[in-house]
Amino acid sequence: MADHESSKINHDNHLLLDQPLLRLPCELLKKNFRAAHFTFEKDSTFVKNLLKETATASINGKTSPQDVVKNLDTMLTRMRGMKRKLESYSEEESSIYRQVDARVAHLKELSTMHTVEDIRYEAWSRQRLDRLVVDYMLRHGYNESAISLANERQMQDLVDIDTFVAMDKIRRSLENGSVTEALAWCSENKKALRNMGSNLEFMLRCQQFIEMMRMGKQLEAISHAKKHFIQFRDSYQQEVHQLAGLLAHRPDTELEPYKTWYSQERWNRIADIFVEAHNKLLGLPSFPLLHIALSSGLSALKTPACHSSQATSSSQPSHSTSLTTNVCPICSTELNELARNVPYAHHSKSHVEHDLLLLPNGRVYGKARLEEYAAKAGLQPGHCKDLVTGQMYTFDQLKKVFIT
Amino acid sequence: MAENNTGIALLERDLAKLSRKPRLQAAVDNVDRIIEQLAAAREQIATALDPHTASLTVTRLQNPTKDAFEMVNENLKDVSSAQKKVFKAVNEHFPLKPLPADHDAMADHPALINRAIAMHLLREGQFSVASTFIEEAQDTPPHHALYQQLESEDTPSADQDEAMDDDDMDTDAQTSVTASTSDPTDLSSLHSQELQTKFAEMYSILQDLKSHNLRSAIDWARANSTELEARGSNLEFELSKLQYVWLFKGAAVNGLPDDERNGRSGALAYALQHFTRFRERHVREIEKLATAMAYAPNLADSPYKEVFSTDSAFTDVAASFTREFCSLLGLSAESPLYIAVTAGALALPRLIKYTMAKRAKGTEWTTDNELAFETPLPEKMVYHSIFVCPVAKEQTTESNPPMMIPCGHVLGKETLQKLCKGTRFKCPYCPSEGQLKDARQIIL
Repeated sequence: MADHESSKINHDNHLLLDQPLLRLPCELLKKNFRAAHFTFEKDSTFVKNLLKETATASINGKTSPQDVVKNLDTMLTRMRGMKRKLESYSEEESSIYRQVDARVAHLKELSTMHTVEDIRYEAWSRQRLDRLVVDYMLRHGYNESAISLANERQMQDLVDIDTFVAMDKIRRSLENGSVTEALAWCSENKKALRNMGSNLEFMLRCQQFIEMMRMGKQLEAISHAKKHFIQFRDSYQQEVHQLAGLLAHRPDTELEPYKTWYSQERWNRIADIFVEAHNKLLGLPSFPLLHIALSSGLSALKTPACHSSQATSSSQPSHSTSLTTNVCPICSTELNELARNVPYAHHSKSHVEHDLLLLPNGRVYGKARLEEYAAKAGLQPGHCKDLVTGQMYTFDQLKKVFIT
Repeated sequence: MAENNTGIALLERDLAKLSRKPRLQAAVDNVDRIIEQLAAAREQIATALDPHTASLTVTRLQNPTKDAFEMVNENLKDVSSAQKKVFKAVNEHFPLKPLPADHDAMADHPALINRAIAMHLLREGQFSVASTFIEEAQDTPPHHALYQQLESEDTPSADQDEAMDDDDMDTDAQTSVTASTSDPTDLSSLHSQELQTKFAEMYSILQDLKSHNLRSAIDWARANSTELEARGSNLEFELSKLQYVWLFKGAAVNGLPDDERNGRSGALAYALQHFTRFRERHVREIEKLATAMAYAPNLADSPYKEVFSTDSAFTDVAASFTREFCSLLGLSAESPLYIAVTAGALALPRLIKYTMAKRAKGTEWTTDNELAFETPLPEKMVYHSIFVCPVAKEQTTESNPPMMIPCGHVLGKETLQKLCKGTRFKCPYCPSEGQLKDARQIIL
């Protein structure tokens, strides 16, 4: 039940929803470093080897000075390319570190508050809501909305627009029937995907095969299968066999499982598999954090009265100084339908106003509220008025109610 | 609690200590050096163009280049180890805690969530974001495929959904704005700008109140006076009263033109013109306001000091105005999405603890309609009276309503039926006895 204790901020557990805020930048740093390292390894090996060969050949008189210059030009081009790439990784690194700092500072603000009554808590919690809403929008591909909300609230460093926009681009390309972008992403993350046991690359290769068959390019499909299916033969034996069988079936076949393989729906499934792999790889929750916050919050707030057909007498907190009805957030239009699907909160103690009085019509109100309402409504002394129905009574008609 | 002991504070301290100097930039600088070396050698060879110089220069280039590459490699190692320290600090001070991942009750209702977000943006006055969002959400309806798997596991709640659909209509009909929204998942009604117009009006009035201009707020309150009075709201009078006080203070305070419509004479004229309609209900307050005229030169020391203090008066009326405005639309004064998400963050630790315990024991939820554990919320987030039958320890519901027995004690209906011997029962809390027919259902 509501008491002072429940207003306290439990710092150990208050940031459960905010974990990806720091996890994701860490993953991105790792990824960025891996890419930088890969570039360096590849280009430096090339340059070192070429330099060595050139020197040897030059000493042995096998290479003319002109060719040495040409080779040096090749090396320079390669090195300048490497520098450009490293520079962009370095910029990315700085921007990720800047995000980490901004996020730690944002989370740290909470450390200075001890109760939810702290006026700064509301501002912090609103910002958290904005973050969750942006996350939700991005996951659904509502990128423009997400960007404009982030700009409006000036919290670009607290949300992961780039990551999700890149993800959305690949998802959309899959939904539109193109595997190129997703395959490029697979090769960027080959090792991590393998460690995860993801079937994404296999599914993409299958889809390429299916599309070739759809276009009637059997020979191309066979050579594609030879090239790409070997590595998957053991782990996806059944699927590979079925695909081999696909060679004997035309796209309009009614025969299962071939009909399913040819189905256009597969593109959407692959898009889902990609999103799942992407989020898992980056340590992101599989569904929007807003969902978690909402299902927990709706339940905690919901009472049996929220979906009752009858207006209760207490649609407002009993401590409220205002007489007029303060609509409960679950009863309010925005969330009422959504909250229908969650269980209501559990209470083991009653929580009612003081000095309850029963009106002849069956409604019960706190004495103080009835008196205040009577005064504000300018009623004759000794008279009162039902706050919901407006029926008029005198105080001597009311009966005391005892809540144990 | 010391604020420097929280995980985040420690993390911040560690990150600051970790002077994360080793960055990729160092590698870029060393790569630059290699480019310079190569370029210098190239120039030398290109100028001389003789085989001896070429082989000598290119041979001499070997070791410095190798060393420089080695330095870049070292740079990269440093970058990597600096990163590892950052990861370690994050893991240590912000340890990963599992989130509920197996059951997403919200996944089936992306359209309802979209609507809640759209209405939230509108009520926050983010009209342009709201309009972009509504357009995007309509162009690309939520990815149902994404949720299909989860949906199939969740059929019971869908059934319940349909069974309760009939009640829906009653609640919806009560709210004026949404009466037009027959399908709650349809965003187009929000796009029809009705709600946006309303909130735009609210923000323009709030803006006026901020600049101490009460006119638009008073006009609104007057236009809606019947509804407001029915709700027991004094908003119109409060606003008019403030207008009187504000004029009374004169040009020096309110900054309005110093003419006969301002100052005490202006206030008096305003009162004569507008206060008659409040005479019946607020006669004593009006008397007070009028008598204050006598103390005008020295109000601060008068008994009317309180009435005439305007320090927080404008913020206060702005808050009541917002509340009334939203209530007349059938909406809560604070954004429900904000309240729900805040409550969600507060309740989440309990939810996770409970889910874990349940999973460890291998048991399932015992009740579908009610959470099986308490999720304490701060007082201000309790919106309805809660009655828990003291005998059954269960919350009363529509089918098991609270019943008051003649002695004034209240029990759940089911409890009362169980207590009955024939048509009589004895109160569990006092010595009195009663008849079933004398018990009556109450509405809390």
